[in-house]
Amino acid sequence: MAPCVFVLATLTGLGQTAPRKSHQPTPFRNQHKAPQQPPAAVSSVPAPIQINRMVILLDPAHGGLDSGSRISDATVEKDVTLSLAFKLRSLLSARGFAVVMTRDADRPTEPNAEGSPLTLDDRAGIANHAHPAACLLLHATGSGNGVHLYHSELAAAPGEPPAEPWLTAQAAWVPQSQRLEAQLAAALTRAGIALVASSASVRPVDSLTCPALVFELAPHGEDPDSINDADYQQRIAQSIADALVFWRNQVQPPVRLLSAVRPEATTAEQVTRPETQP
Amino acid sequence: MIQRHQRIVFWCLIACIVGMGVLLAVERQRGRERIQALGDATPLDAPTAMTEAVTLDLANDTDGSITASSRQIALPQEANSRARALIDHLIAEYALPGSSHPLPSGSAVAEVFLLPLPVIGHAVDTSAAANSSGGFKATVPVASEDPNALKPKEPGGELAVIDLRSTFVNQHPSGVEVESLTLLSILGTLHANLPQIEQVRFLVDGQARETLSGHADLLRTYPVRDTVSNPNGGQLNP
Repeated sequence: MAPCVFVLATLTGLGQTAPRKSHQPTPFRNQHKAPQQPPAAVSSVPAPIQINRMVILLDPAHGGLDSGSRISDATVEKDVTLSLAFKLRSLLSARGFAVVMTRDADRPTEPNAEGSPLTLDDRAGIANHAHPAACLLLHATGSGNGVHLYHSELAAAPGEPPAEPWLTAQAAWVPQSQRLEAQLAAALTRAGIALVASSASVRPVDSLTCPALVFELAPHGEDPDSINDADYQQRIAQSIADALVFWRNQVQPPVRLLSAVRPEATTAEQVTRPETQP
Repeated sequence: MIQRHQRIVFWCLIACIVGMGVLLAVERQRGRERIQALGDATPLDAPTAMTEAVTLDLANDTDGSITASSRQIALPQEANSRARALIDHLIAEYALPGSSHPLPSGSAVAEVFLLPLPVIGHAVDTSAAANSSGGFKATVPVASEDPNALKPKEPGGELAVIDLRSTFVNQHPSGVEVESLTLLSILGTLHANLPQIEQVRFLVDGQARETLSGHADLLRTYPVRDTVSNPNGGQLNP
């Protein structure tokens, strides 16, 4: 009897009630390693994508044994990114933001067993769980000058499908990332900072489910050590913090797409799994 | 009675005649060998290829731009060697003093393999059209029971697998911009000169590697496209 009731309820649209938790599509850490579940064939109303407008994620790249690029004889990338992240955290906190950092010391956070390094997927998982209004992946380089901003190279998707692959989770957020890039670029230009803005494929930006940018700090002169100039970093951090204050009122999460309905598969799945349904 | 000086002149003339005869015989033999060599098609020296105009997409670290530049270089005819020579010429440009995108000198590419798309043993993923993310055809493995698994499915363009040398990769400058520009420069140069190449994958010493020098992703498949930007191409248009 139960199978018949379930099939009838689905066919008549009674199944369009509150979505089940198992249909939450947001990719979290290492989801790509788990076997992919076939998209459910229930055409329920998708829940809106959650976003915390007062949360900003900062990811100071590298750390620990991974020093990143060597900017000069005395400067390595991991120290510059952490220094800039601390300045940003102070300014953002003063503006009422809650700041989530993937690391706040040289040694990356160890979410799992002791001694396990923080992988790029771990960083993406921390970001996705926070549902921030913006994710900034902080990098530094000795080449070029000013600031380099990059959004994901993924083609923009119209919305977030029910089962987005881990390595392309950012696709639905690319339009928002481009708008965030434009806002930060305008703010940095007003502050007189040399700017390069483009797209790049830098992990783990493609796995983030938030407006995400790769932010690369470069020296402001010929001397690579000028990247450590506290006033220079403070001026950049100030511009970003001011831009993010406006951004938190403008960010709009992408729509969550319905699952594709496959009539032939729908019937088969429902008939074979009736006991699991309420 | 013949005088002594007349005898000397006589024998000198005889010696000259003999010498000229020998010289004539030697030169005749050389001429014969030269004529025979012209008729012999056996290759002895490497042929000198004709130079041709190619387009190199050159990166500039200062403004993050890529500009197309024409060069006259000699390239082999075979496609794999042609792709490899193009990339080597490109990297050699960056190794010159005063380069706007300085890279280490030396050979960067061990080998380039061109594979027809979709890759043999794979087929176009028709379900990927709805959520394609890279702007190119996704491929999925063909089932092992497929009797035609070793035949290309819907052949079209080519996938270039570029095997970089670790000596080049290990000395490559580290940074998001500088690494991305190197990859975009290679992609743009291949697009301009070998339009049949649709996708590119990178290996390092025959092995997959996560990043070029800590930042740019080397695990993904890159769609080949026009990467040239105008002088302000790196600047965002808000």
